[in-house]
Amino acid sequence: AYQDTMDKNFEGKQFTGVIKFTPPLYKQRYEFVQDLVRKYKPKKVADLGCADCTLLWMLKFCSCIEVLAGLDICETVMKEKMHRLTPLPADYLEPSERSLTVTLHQGSVAHKDPCMLGFDLVTCIELIEHLQESELEKFPEVVFGFMAPNMVVISTPNSEFNTLLPGVTVFRHPDHKFEWDRAQFQSWAQDTAKRYEYSVEFTGVGSPPTGMEDVGFCTQIGVFVRKYPQTREPGQREKPTEAAYKTVFKAVYPSLTDEKYLQNAVVSEVMFRAQLIKRSLLDHLLSEHEEYNDDPTERKLKLQCSVNCFSADVETLPVEKSTEPFVSGNVVYIPLRNFFSVPKVKQLCGTFEKFCRLITGKVPLNSDSSALMLDAENEEN
Amino acid sequence: VTEVFSKTRNGEDVRITITLTNELPPTSPTCLQFYNIIFRRLVVWPGFTSSILQYEESIMLCADVSHKILRSETVLDFMYSLYEQVEERRFRDACAKELIGVIVLTKYNNRTYRVDDIDWDANPQCTFRRADGSEISYINYYKRQYNQDISDLNQPVLISQCRRKRGNAMVGPVVLIPELCYLTGLTEKMRNDFNMMKDLAVHTRLSPEQRQREIGKLVECMKKDECVQKELQDWGLSFDSSLLSFTGRVVQAEKILQGGNVFDYNPQFADWSRETRVAPLIHAKPLDNWLLIYTRRNYDAANMLLQNLFKVTPSMGIRMNKATMIEVDDRTEAYLRVLQQNITPDTNIAVCVLSSTRKDKYDAIKKYLCTDCPIPSQCVVARTLSKPQTALAIVTKIALQMNCKMGGELWSVEIPLKQLMIVGIDCYHDTLSGKQSIAGFVASLNEKMTRWFSRCVVQSRGQEIVDGLKACLQTTLREWFKWNKYLPSRIIVYRDGVGDGQLNTLVNYEVPQFLDCLKTVGKDYNPRLTVIVVKKRVSTRFFAQAGGGLKNPPPGTVIDIEVTRPEWYDFFIVSQAVRNGCVAPTHYNVVYDTSKLKPDHVQRLTYKLCHMYYNWS
Repeated sequence: AYQDTMDKNFEGKQFTGVIKFTPPLYKQRYEFVQDLVRKYKPKKVADLGCADCTLLWMLKFCSCIEVLAGLDICETVMKEKMHRLTPLPADYLEPSERSLTVTLHQGSVAHKDPCMLGFDLVTCIELIEHLQESELEKFPEVVFGFMAPNMVVISTPNSEFNTLLPGVTVFRHPDHKFEWDRAQFQSWAQDTAKRYEYSVEFTGVGSPPTGMEDVGFCTQIGVFVRKYPQTREPGQREKPTEAAYKTVFKAVYPSLTDEKYLQNAVVSEVMFRAQLIKRSLLDHLLSEHEEYNDDPTERKLKLQCSVNCFSADVETLPVEKSTEPFVSGNVVYIPLRNFFSVPKVKQLCGTFEKFCRLITGKVPLNSDSSALMLDAENEEN
Repeated sequence: VTEVFSKTRNGEDVRITITLTNELPPTSPTCLQFYNIIFRRLVVWPGFTSSILQYEESIMLCADVSHKILRSETVLDFMYSLYEQVEERRFRDACAKELIGVIVLTKYNNRTYRVDDIDWDANPQCTFRRADGSEISYINYYKRQYNQDISDLNQPVLISQCRRKRGNAMVGPVVLIPELCYLTGLTEKMRNDFNMMKDLAVHTRLSPEQRQREIGKLVECMKKDECVQKELQDWGLSFDSSLLSFTGRVVQAEKILQGGNVFDYNPQFADWSRETRVAPLIHAKPLDNWLLIYTRRNYDAANMLLQNLFKVTPSMGIRMNKATMIEVDDRTEAYLRVLQQNITPDTNIAVCVLSSTRKDKYDAIKKYLCTDCPIPSQCVVARTLSKPQTALAIVTKIALQMNCKMGGELWSVEIPLKQLMIVGIDCYHDTLSGKQSIAGFVASLNEKMTRWFSRCVVQSRGQEIVDGLKACLQTTLREWFKWNKYLPSRIIVYRDGVGDGQLNTLVNYEVPQFLDCLKTVGKDYNPRLTVIVVKKRVSTRFFAQAGGGLKNPPPGTVIDIEVTRPEWYDFFIVSQAVRNGCVAPTHYNVVYDTSKLKPDHVQRLTYKLCHMYYNWS
């Protein structure tokens, strides 16, 4: 949020006490959330007061997250940078296995909206100090009572640290409605936790300089964890909640869970391997002759000779089908099992049956669909 | 910075300067529509190029469909496969040769970078200083920031000199990790892969109607986007939803004069290859004493070439003897040795039949026959002669090419201007290393424009290309005088390879140098000079409206209204017919002119000269 920039200015100012945070404080807060995500691996994460979506952008790289949502009262601020949350060209080139949907909503934390139900983690970083009194009053019911995620992280300035910040006369930022000391925040937090059956632990980021530890962290943080798993199904309420937020942005990332992308990835890998197998097979056949010439036409002529000899041998083979690739006529045959043994293909498909299903119709197969066919000629001009 | 002009309601002139402050993020409406060219590991990413400029009547958006080729091959993958292909001691040089200048796309953000250097002394475990002063290794940085794992700890790093400005500061060189960079664009090998290019063309070569549809999507997208609309409305601007429509002209088709015959061509196709075959050339050079070199396996192709040459040359008036045919091993050294041993001062031309399009062989042969042992030469790839149906047509073209190289003259068109010398110049600047510039200079030596003087000039860094050009101009005027006994009273220079940013230098510096040079040729020698800048890669496309649909405009279409610039004397000409896709017009910008010729005549003359390119297909 814009308040972060202000904090940066205040905190970065040189002062006889030299308060400078490395990395900058806002980043430390975001990294705190990242560490939590890495530890607890939530699948659905929401950021309340997401502003310019920097935290959301950082979180999208966490592969455990499948649903990422942002909420802010101000649409313009979100719109400025929301393009950073769209999938990259690289995401289309090599879709990953995880699925990810990112949505941004415009609305207030004082209102309930069913789109925020069922989340594992909700973050409120430097949010509450911007809320009007009436909004702050409704906040616990909406977040802890209604949304009721498994974990909530709330960070807010620790006013006790303000003595070390130059230029701070009342609040660190003009939009702050209040700034609590540790006792005030912890009291509020513990009341809320008790009322909604959460446990809470306190910590912070932005360490004070040595000798001044008694002021505490520059930013104080409360991490709330649900005591009991959800008993009620979300949605089974006395009366269904109406939507109050406006969806401003939505992006669905390409993923291998979508069969279209999975098929692309498998076929691409299969054809790539096929070319390698074909090349090594042809090289092997040729190396059996004395004069090796790197010209393709020459190679083709020699291949014709070897192929004619080879295919004669094939006919005398026992009935049991070999799984080795072979050449017959002008065609290279690669039995499908050769591809399934490639680790990447196996990992993508799981079962041989699924593999066969995925490639059917997308790669050239022989009449009984047991082998992939390739032209033995080289495709040079 | 772009400047546009307008008028206030009171008639006062207003100059508006538009400065780039922010780049709009790519919103990519068609981003789901990528084309996966399977097993080449290529993805074609459709997009648009655009520019907004002030044109004759109004400010317009010029948009064209453009495609970016993305490869799912990383730079690291590429380095490994390169390592398999070259000797160890040449590996680093090979990497530099292949990678420097290439544009890469990073896996973790939407940015592209140009690879400017490879730092072999660094690797992902090295540390760097972040903006906040802390030190972190690349491997930790990418893991922490983007959850990207780097598995190869020994890979070198890439350096990109970032030219973009962030705020007011120039950003310094950027370090990239090969494992995290995708290659983009096509390699030379890919361009030579006929099948691949055919597959690609299916997606990228759009017909006029397809192109119109794609541009339409862009316009639709802009209309639907609230932010765009609001921004435009605030300025009182809006975009038209349809493409600019106006009337153009088609100049008449030319008559081709060849050896006493005159023939027309179908103006829609502008193709006279069949007619050319059956008329004697204006000046045919004989094939009295010439070499035909082939490999054992290409004997049939070489023979086919010889037999067909015997068939086509008589009607074109070319006297031909049987060639001295020499068989060689299919190795570059073998070709060169045979050439060295068999070329005599009497040899008219050396023809080499090659088994493949391998560039190194071709380059070596051409280099030898241009610098060490300069004689006309013709290389033919055996495969082109393999299809009996097209053999005759192909051999005709080869015969014509050979004749040109030996100094023959093929055909001409009527050029009504007398005492006119045409000069053609193209420049190539090697920006990567050595900073050399090379200019090609040709000048006509007769009024029929069938005989030409040619020279190449190499200028190293520090010297100016115009010095070399002046020397060429002097020499060519002397040659002209030798042939014609008088100096040309008009000189028209067609210059390629000049960017918009260099036009001022051309007009204010180079042209005066040319004028000075002309004065040194003869006292009182004051020819009329015209300098025209030619641009072949323009993003402007024209479509002809035909019965409700769009198709390509016919050759001879001239456009000098609406889409030309008000401050320039410029025009477009469509001078070819294409079978697939959209024809690319050529842009001509007359930057200096004392000829007092009417624009219409300059255009017609230019179009006539398009007919004099003997090497078209």
